Amino acid sequence: MRHHASLFGLTLALPLLIWQLLFFVAPLAFLVALSFWTVRNFQMQPDFDVSNWVRIYTREVFWQAYLRSLILATAATVLTSAIAFPAAYAISFKLSESAKRWIVFILVIPFFTSYLVRVYSLQVFLSDAGILNAALGYFGLGPVLMLNNTFGVLVGLVTLCLPLVILLQTFSLNFVNRDLVEAAHNLRCGPLATVFRVIVPSAKVGLIIAALFSFILSFGDFVSPLYLGGGNPPTLSIMITDITKSGQQWPRAAVVAITMIVSLLIVAFASIRFAYKERGR
Amino acid sequence: MTVTRDRMISGTLKFHLFLCVVFIFAPIIGSFVFSLNSDRFPSLPLGSFSTEWYRLIWEDPFVWAGFFNTMIVGFCVAVIATVLGFGGAYTDYRYKFFGKQIYMALALLPPTIPVVILGLAMLAYLSRIGLSGDLYSIIIAHGVMCSPFAMAIIRLRLSQMDPDLEAAAWNLGGNEWVTLRHVVLPFTFPAIIASLFITMAVSFDEFAVAWFVSGLHETLPVKVLGFLQGQVSPRINAIGSLAFVSSISLIVLAQMLLRTPSTRSRSASED
Amino acid sequence: MQNTPIVAFDQVNKSFGNFVAVENVSFEIGRGEFLAIMGSSGCGKTTTLRMLAGLEAPSQGRILLDGEEVGDKPTWSRDTPMVWQSLALFPFLTVQENVEFGLKMRKVPRKERIERARKWLDRLGILEFADRNIAQLSGGQRQRVALARSLVTEPKILLLDEPLSALDAHLKVRMQSVLSNLQKDLGITFVYVTHSMSEAFSMADRVIIMSRGKVEQIGTPEEIFHHPTNRFVAEFLGSSNIFTGVISSVNGDTLSVRTKEGVFEIRNQKKLEKQAGDSISFTVRSEQLKLDLEDSKPLLNSIVATVVGEEFSGAMANIFLETADGLELQVQKPHEEIRKLGVRHNRNVVAYFDPDQCHILSEG
Repeated sequence: MRHHASLFGLTLALPLLIWQLLFFVAPLAFLVALSFWTVRNFQMQPDFDVSNWVRIYTREVFWQAYLRSLILATAATVLTSAIAFPAAYAISFKLSESAKRWIVFILVIPFFTSYLVRVYSLQVFLSDAGILNAALGYFGLGPVLMLNNTFGVLVGLVTLCLPLVILLQTFSLNFVNRDLVEAAHNLRCGPLATVFRVIVPSAKVGLIIAALFSFILSFGDFVSPLYLGGGNPPTLSIMITDITKSGQQWPRAAVVAITMIVSLLIVAFASIRFAYKERGR
Repeated sequence: MTVTRDRMISGTLKFHLFLCVVFIFAPIIGSFVFSLNSDRFPSLPLGSFSTEWYRLIWEDPFVWAGFFNTMIVGFCVAVIATVLGFGGAYTDYRYKFFGKQIYMALALLPPTIPVVILGLAMLAYLSRIGLSGDLYSIIIAHGVMCSPFAMAIIRLRLSQMDPDLEAAAWNLGGNEWVTLRHVVLPFTFPAIIASLFITMAVSFDEFAVAWFVSGLHETLPVKVLGFLQGQVSPRINAIGSLAFVSSISLIVLAQMLLRTPSTRSRSASED
Repeated sequence: MQNTPIVAFDQVNKSFGNFVAVENVSFEIGRGEFLAIMGSSGCGKTTTLRMLAGLEAPSQGRILLDGEEVGDKPTWSRDTPMVWQSLALFPFLTVQENVEFGLKMRKVPRKERIERARKWLDRLGILEFADRNIAQLSGGQRQRVALARSLVTEPKILLLDEPLSALDAHLKVRMQSVLSNLQKDLGITFVYVTHSMSEAFSMADRVIIMSRGKVEQIGTPEEIFHHPTNRFVAEFLGSSNIFTGVISSVNGDTLSVRTKEGVFEIRNQKKLEKQAGDSISFTVRSEQLKLDLEDSKPLLNSIVATVVGEEFSGAMANIFLETADGLELQVQKPHEEIRKLGVRHNRNVVAYFDPDQCHILSEG
């Protein structure tokens, strides 16, 4: 009830703050400094040199990777949102309360399974002699190339994002005032028109936040592009792991990482602005 | 007319939802099935039943080493993240102060940073201050990544607490510390246990940041990543299935604890 | 010691940011007194109580508890147990453990703790529930647990913050007598915050009426009910017939008052210092306002008004009137009389009153 700083309050509040400053903010800040360091004789040296930036930004492979990352993340986001919406709509509007609780619980489970294991399993499903092609073979179809191409990456990214996006969309649809829907029906707005003219605008913020999360996850993921997409051409995430794991050129990896963070920040701010933009005046 | 049409729409939507669930769970269930299959690379028709892959990981000392590392990291992370998260959640619940939004942002942002970037930043920073390449490096990184989850779980429980409850304990003669011990901790006890389990489960499955900072001290997920980079290895399925069962047990336990909000905890009354 | 008041507020102020919750509040509470602090929500009554409990620190002024200035002393170092509106019983403890809580905080040995808790549970008639969970109790039983928990340390003063507001009407009346009797038996001071006039007036020895952070009137229920000192208190107690005007002449005890509604003659029964030219407010209780049809003979102190509403409660009817100037009046009469008179909606009537049956508000 007393609002001045007390030993008690500080003891509870400070550990988290100190931990996050030391091990979250500091590493990210260090990343910025690192991007200006130089490497000589396989040794990193503190410096203020823009050569890493010049080096990375003048390489065509970087811009290709950037473009591919953007396209993959955008495609995965659009695809995931489109697949998720009817599912979230079904959960929010068509299921009983107890069925809702169950499906939410079921959708939480994938967060606690290993993404790597799922990707490995997808390899078995998608490969040329894998489960799906064998199944298609029974119908005299295929084999269809599904692994080591963009299709494979997108399957992986959708697997990664879909549960989260369905959950977030469901939560935002749960907040749509049911009276609005009935009012729309009452004003002779058909079921489909009601979805696009009433429900989607009412749940706009949540739907956009869900898409944003999907974009962040897909943009940062290196597992699907590498193990389902074949890793060629690389994405920015693959570039970071390659550069980091193959030597001491961390400053260059830092340049790529900062570029990614800035891109994500721009996308995040733009979509949040768009989400909260008022219609009319 | 409309009734039939409504039913059709409703049926189609539910079928779509069903397909989504199948899509999401196919790799998970697939991995479980493949782990018990004799084929090195399963296809249709499936090969015979076999526990070969489980035997292989059972006999693999590296897998055991990875398992112990994972357990050590998981326990430490669960405790650290829950302690930090409890402090953050209580701070948010009780206090208003200048800069609180920044405090909350710092506390909750880590899950939104892509793991590759976090991994690189942690590796570069920790090796600079001489803390990289060991188990405690993973613990530090996972502490950052898991404390937001702990904080969210405990904060949710605190929001169910009557604000007068603490005041009543102060009024009956308990100072803030005593009240924390006798009122706040017992009240949030189910959430604290749930937070321990869930942060542990998150740490069990995290591979990317752990891969960056761990050096030679690999955890099990990092090991799996190694298998994935190498040749085809159905051992992944066996490890994955075991990890899945243990994670899900933790989550179900946590859920059960969170579902019974009025659980009495005897720990509060003993003295 | 026995002569000092148990509580004294001296010019106490409390503000939260720019919001002034309590302004210049001074009063004293005697030992063994049952004091009610009454007002509508946001009037500062709960903040006053919380300052007394030590849950808020005053921004200015002094609070004396048993002769000692407490100011910043935290609530855990005071002996001012409180019964909360939400009851704030610990859901993870049994009834017995809830009652023991205060003793445990005072490090009373376990055996004595149990004995004392059981004694109070018994006294409040809930000993049989000692091992139950709070969730298994009824509203009235919980109330008793909350009382036992606060009284188990045998304090000199007990603070109660709208403890009965969650109960249904029937139980409320029963708990009022429980509280009243308890206070008399124990002989300790009760400070009772409420927005309910019936609770305050039926239990308290003295009542403080607050509004917008200030004390409006302090007195016995009798004094306040029959002699409200100002317009706020009069309105708060439900009198709607309040006239305001200027004294045009003084003739012994009789004052002529010019108001928008006309000139009225009223008796200055309390012999207040009043002169021609003073502004003055007075009230006429709704049952003392008389009613007649418009076309009857001219009467002393009469006002023409339109019937805008009727409300029936039991054998009585409340007739709501409005004058051409918008003054609202309320008349209470038995049904029969209303029916005989033929009062109807929208009809014009004459309301009048006797000069002896009005009450002058001393603070204008």
